[in-house]
Amino acid sequence: MKDWLHSVRTLVWKDLLQEWRSKDMLTAMFAFAILTLFIFNYAIELSPVNRAEIASGIIWVVIVFAGTLGLNRSFIAEQDQGCFDALVMAVPDVSAIYFGKMLTNWLVMLFVSVLILPIYSLLYNQSLFNAGFILVLVLGAWCYSAAGTLIAGMTVQTRMRDLLLPILLFPILMPVNMAVVKAAGGILAGAPLMDVQAWLVFLAAYGIIVTTVSIMVFEYVIRE
Amino acid sequence: MTLAIRQIAKSFGQHHVLNSLDLELQPGELLCLLGRNGAGKTTLLRILAGLLKPETGSVWLNNQQIDYAESHARSNIGLVMHQPFLYEHLTGIENLRFYARLYQLADDETALEAALAQVGMQRFGGKPVRAYSRGMKQRLTIARALLHSPRILLLDEPYTGLDLQGSQIFNQLMLEQKQQGCIILMTTHDLSHALPISSRFAFLARGRVSDELTNENLSLENLETWLAEKLAKPLSAQKRAAA
Amino acid sequence: MLFVNKNLKLLSFLAFLLVLAAFAMVLFYAPIELNMGIVQKVFYFHVSAAWIGMLAFLVAAVCGILYLNKKQLKYDFIAFSAVEIGLLFTAIANFSGMIWAKPIWNTWWTWDPRLTTMTIMAFTYIGYLLLRRGVDNPEKRARFGSVYAIIGFASVPLTFFSSRLLRTIHPTIFGADTGDMAMIPAMYQTMAVSIIAFTVLFAALLWHRSLLAARESELEILRAQTEVLEFGEVLDD
Repeated sequence: MKDWLHSVRTLVWKDLLQEWRSKDMLTAMFAFAILTLFIFNYAIELSPVNRAEIASGIIWVVIVFAGTLGLNRSFIAEQDQGCFDALVMAVPDVSAIYFGKMLTNWLVMLFVSVLILPIYSLLYNQSLFNAGFILVLVLGAWCYSAAGTLIAGMTVQTRMRDLLLPILLFPILMPVNMAVVKAAGGILAGAPLMDVQAWLVFLAAYGIIVTTVSIMVFEYVIRE
Repeated sequence: MTLAIRQIAKSFGQHHVLNSLDLELQPGELLCLLGRNGAGKTTLLRILAGLLKPETGSVWLNNQQIDYAESHARSNIGLVMHQPFLYEHLTGIENLRFYARLYQLADDETALEAALAQVGMQRFGGKPVRAYSRGMKQRLTIARALLHSPRILLLDEPYTGLDLQGSQIFNQLMLEQKQQGCIILMTTHDLSHALPISSRFAFLARGRVSDELTNENLSLENLETWLAEKLAKPLSAQKRAAA
Repeated sequence: MLFVNKNLKLLSFLAFLLVLAAFAMVLFYAPIELNMGIVQKVFYFHVSAAWIGMLAFLVAAVCGILYLNKKQLKYDFIAFSAVEIGLLFTAIANFSGMIWAKPIWNTWWTWDPRLTTMTIMAFTYIGYLLLRRGVDNPEKRARFGSVYAIIGFASVPLTFFSSRLLRTIHPTIFGADTGDMAMIPAMYQTMAVSIIAFTVLFAALLWHRSLLAARESELEILRAQTEVLEFGEVLDD
């Protein structure tokens, strides 16, 4: 277990360092998120009246789309340079590779959210800095990267690559979308945390189930 | 510490790549695998690394079957494959530091500098790998494969991209590894470089080792004649019928 | 399992008879429901088809686990066939649901959670077929298919549960406290026969389709072999 955690830490350190050096993923995700936000602004008339209700939906869609962009890149280095083989040889258990990558994707998504939230608040004069709302985003992003990392590990090895990821991922994530939008919407509308508790528990359960299943099957994604 | 490969068979669909292959390697021995393109050399190396599962057969180290599920068995192996296993956006030193940490080795500056210096790359450690030439990547790859002092080295075309000096450095490193009792299995088409360091040559055909040649004061000319003879021989009618 | 024998012929014939019997019972035996009228009769096949959809995806997930453990391609053939048939039955369930919904709910489509769940599930398995098309190596295709069938099936109850958390207007048939639809014995019997008939039909279809998948795989191997042989000839001479 100690070795496993050490591997996970090392893998996350490597991914973050790599991202810090290139900033490919982060800049693209951030720019994409802002642009999506602008599209929403024109597509949906955000009047001060309905703003509170649909803010949660818009923020989540922006994060999900940007996150998909990031997931598509997340295994590129391993696939193109053959690093999967070297990692398999070096880690105590293959599940460490999944877990490390899942943590990185989670962190990157949260980082993009941290950038997007103040911009949204600024543009629409609606503060989103609410502990409950942020908790929902943290849980939702976890569920998203838990399923997304597993699927991206497969799609990166297929012919269609980035085309395939959203098609495989979105149906599986549908319950997460439902839960996040409902919980975050409730919180932004002023409901106490107790009212949306069921959704929070649901998100945690989804995260635990999908992470566990992924840890068990990830070996078959990168090893014959 | 003998490495014994027993009755390994592997096929892709109905195409039998390896066919009950037997091979034995002694410590301090460097075996050079030769054969046509598609003879199964890389497949054999991948099986020995535990990255592919053979249909039948097993690999034994010291009369003990290697269980590739054990991380200890895997970390005993150093691997150089066609792809460099390097992260393009990281510098040479950072790549080595990453692998050193994964293997839980000392990752202090001096150890990593030394690893770079042994492949003649000390001046480029701070440059990102994407700026490297093919040969520089290959040098770093070799340093990476040797980093955790593996007892078994599996090298697929290690001379790819190396300049004359690089090949000489590599040969020197392999001689040192042999002296330390390392078991080395290498594929190459570069006979002139392989000759001085190889203990034995094995020719792979029809999914098994069809012939071997021990390197006892072997001249390059003799080796080339031997290989040319093997390559000239068409595959038997039997194999065609089987395929 | 993957060969033709007289059991398969027997099973196919049995499926034929049972479906015929179920059809007859729906038409002539089951009574006409008071509130909904004749259109309610679509519900026997609707529920049966939905059940087969679920069953098929369960079979795919179980075969996925078996494949990953045993690495025998026959499990992949069965899983792939089950998904294909499951998609067909899911489509039948959805369309028959729409026929029912139009007079009862006065709309072809509603965002009723259970209907939505069914459709999302169908999209998951369309994804499964697309994933397989993107992989050329049969071994890897089987591996990815298995992994995706497992994670996809794990998400089905989650989707269902999350939609339960939302308000539903879908009638709850079994184990309901407040009966949306009062069932009399004749209806239960028709329902049971329909479900059995569809299950047997599913087993027969699955067997046939798996056989076909095995043939397709043989063909693929033969094709690949011809290419290898040609390449080998060039190398030899």
